[in-house]
Amino acid sequence: MSEQAPLQPDLANSANVTVTTAAGRSALFPLIGLAVAFVLHRFIAPMLSPYHAGLALDIGVNIILAVSLTIVNGYTGQFSIGHAGFMAIGAYTAGATTYYGSILFMGHYDFAGGILSAPIGMETTSFFTGGDSLFLAGCIMGGIMAALAGLIVGLPSIRLRGDYLAIVTLGFGEIMRVLLEQSPEQILSIEQVKQTGFPGVVPHLGGAIGFGRIPQYASLFWVYAFVTLTLIVAYRLKFSSHGRALLAIRENEVAAGAMGVPITRYKVIAFVIAAALAGLAGGLFAHQVRLIPSTFGFQKSFDVLIMVVLGGLGSISGSIIAAAIVTLLPEVLRDPPSIWPVMLGLIVVLAIVRRKRAIRPTIILALVTIAWEVLRAVVGDLSPYRMVMFALALILMMILRPQGFFGIHEIWDYWKRKKIAANGARP
Amino acid sequence: MTSMTSMMSEALFHIENVSLSFGGLKAVVDFQLRMNSGDLHGLIGPNGAGKTTIFNLITGVYQPDEGFIHLAGKPMQGKAPWAIAYAGIARTFQNIRLFPDLSVIDNVRTANHLRKKHTLLHTLLRAPRHLTDEQTMMDRATELLDVIGLLHVKDHLARNLPYGDQRRLEIARALATLPKVLLLDEPAAGMNPSEKKSLITLIQKIREQFDVTILLIDHDMNLVMNLCEHITVLDHGQIIAAGTPQQVQKSDEVIKAYLGEPAGE
Repeated sequence: MSEQAPLQPDLANSANVTVTTAAGRSALFPLIGLAVAFVLHRFIAPMLSPYHAGLALDIGVNIILAVSLTIVNGYTGQFSIGHAGFMAIGAYTAGATTYYGSILFMGHYDFAGGILSAPIGMETTSFFTGGDSLFLAGCIMGGIMAALAGLIVGLPSIRLRGDYLAIVTLGFGEIMRVLLEQSPEQILSIEQVKQTGFPGVVPHLGGAIGFGRIPQYASLFWVYAFVTLTLIVAYRLKFSSHGRALLAIRENEVAAGAMGVPITRYKVIAFVIAAALAGLAGGLFAHQVRLIPSTFGFQKSFDVLIMVVLGGLGSISGSIIAAAIVTLLPEVLRDPPSIWPVMLGLIVVLAIVRRKRAIRPTIILALVTIAWEVLRAVVGDLSPYRMVMFALALILMMILRPQGFFGIHEIWDYWKRKKIAANGARP
Repeated sequence: MTSMTSMMSEALFHIENVSLSFGGLKAVVDFQLRMNSGDLHGLIGPNGAGKTTIFNLITGVYQPDEGFIHLAGKPMQGKAPWAIAYAGIARTFQNIRLFPDLSVIDNVRTANHLRKKHTLLHTLLRAPRHLTDEQTMMDRATELLDVIGLLHVKDHLARNLPYGDQRRLEIARALATLPKVLLLDEPAAGMNPSEKKSLITLIQKIREQFDVTILLIDHDMNLVMNLCEHITVLDHGQIIAAGTPQQVQKSDEVIKAYLGEPAGE
């Protein structure tokens, strides 16, 4: 009714121009992501030891988990701590699809991938094979099943807030773990699969002993291709009208409702998208290690939660950096290194970026560095205490920067904010 | 019967016999209100009279125990808050409820979300419809901020605005939903005289530029008397007077409610 005056013609024209260039730009990021994933897989991975290549895979999977959880806990401000449950659904769905699918379609469960999934040192001429498509189908199925679980858990529990929602999601995660532990322990062999036939084999997920034998298709290429997909979804969502609706719910639920945001619908949407991506991450994880239900306990959910909080609730770039740090730090601490060069660098960066406001953090960082180096000199081997040090690092981080690395913002906002502060009329 | 329906279709916004109790407390009793398109109606009364409760009833935060609320002949009672906003009723809040960590322009754009024409799938695929829609929202928000006078701070976080500007931003955000009826809950609360003056100008400007009907709550008698053609006075959940500012000012009931019983009786 109260439509505003129509756009002036020249304004409408300029809008069209931005539309076409923006469409061109939106194809750029997926292509760059795929290219990076390919380079990582074909050229970087052969230079890494299996241990380091494994860490790179872990980081990728954790990025997907952290970024997807930040859609619920960060954008929408809901407190979900059952992410491992959705990951488990995706992992077992994908694992079972690939394992039993391989036997059904190919008669064996050996690795049968092309260039994109071949592990280091394996020669193959084919680019994309039946095995690859089974693996992809498994991951997508895993995402879909996890999304369905998200819908089923989300619909009744979404009217709960804060602590109550946290308890429900925690309970869901534990239920998934226990159910998987109770599945028949026997992974069927080729002969048994032929005898039992489908769908009788489906519940055979290995129980508490775990689900081995899943061919390991999850190469760096596939993991980082899915990281790209996750980042695109998270980014496009955050910087859109739909994403702002989610942020509005986090900022003030009553006002968001009064401004026409359908609260329940958007909470469920956030929940389902996050669950689907967690399912994908689980699918990748399944094609990388032996699946054991206890992996998906609440410890895993908390690890992801730590990444999200550390990165800043709602920050995509923060979640990426935090996922990498939380994955790497316990590994680095196996052989505790000298930290003063890193800390010195950090202090210099702080001094340049924050100038006067850098004094307090600089003092704290300097004290930490000195304490650390003294401890190293006195105790010698610190490696038995690595989880203590990991926890201490988290505590320190939360004291120094309770809003996480970037708060709700992105790394590039800090550059922009400086410009606004320079031009802005008001403090 | 026919005369009743024709009467109903006359008023854009029509509340009839609305009551609400919380347990034994009767918060609102038999409230009624009728506004035609373009009206500026004031709702006043002492603290705790039930003014904000009426706003909460209109916007679906509370459901009335009885009575009806009609917008352009369509019932509003029983709808969720977002559906009422979609139907064309927007509000501001007595205690400011902005989205503090979003920028000023994002606050306004968020409120335009309900007029979007694209789906989540369009957004995830960056489809042309998403891009044109986002552009429209951006233009609308820019235009609104220009009218309200906040365009120069559009990239600042809402939490960093001075108090008076936060109140103005709430009005801009409500207007971004493209409402037929705008509910202003104590827009002048906590403002100094010069801020109040510019608020009066702003409300008059909004009325001229946007095709919107306004219902306004305020404590400040001067502000309400200056702005509104019609006033309803509320005390203890009941209407004690209604009419033009002059009529209301003369009402004994109103004087009693605001100043107490005359001495020496």
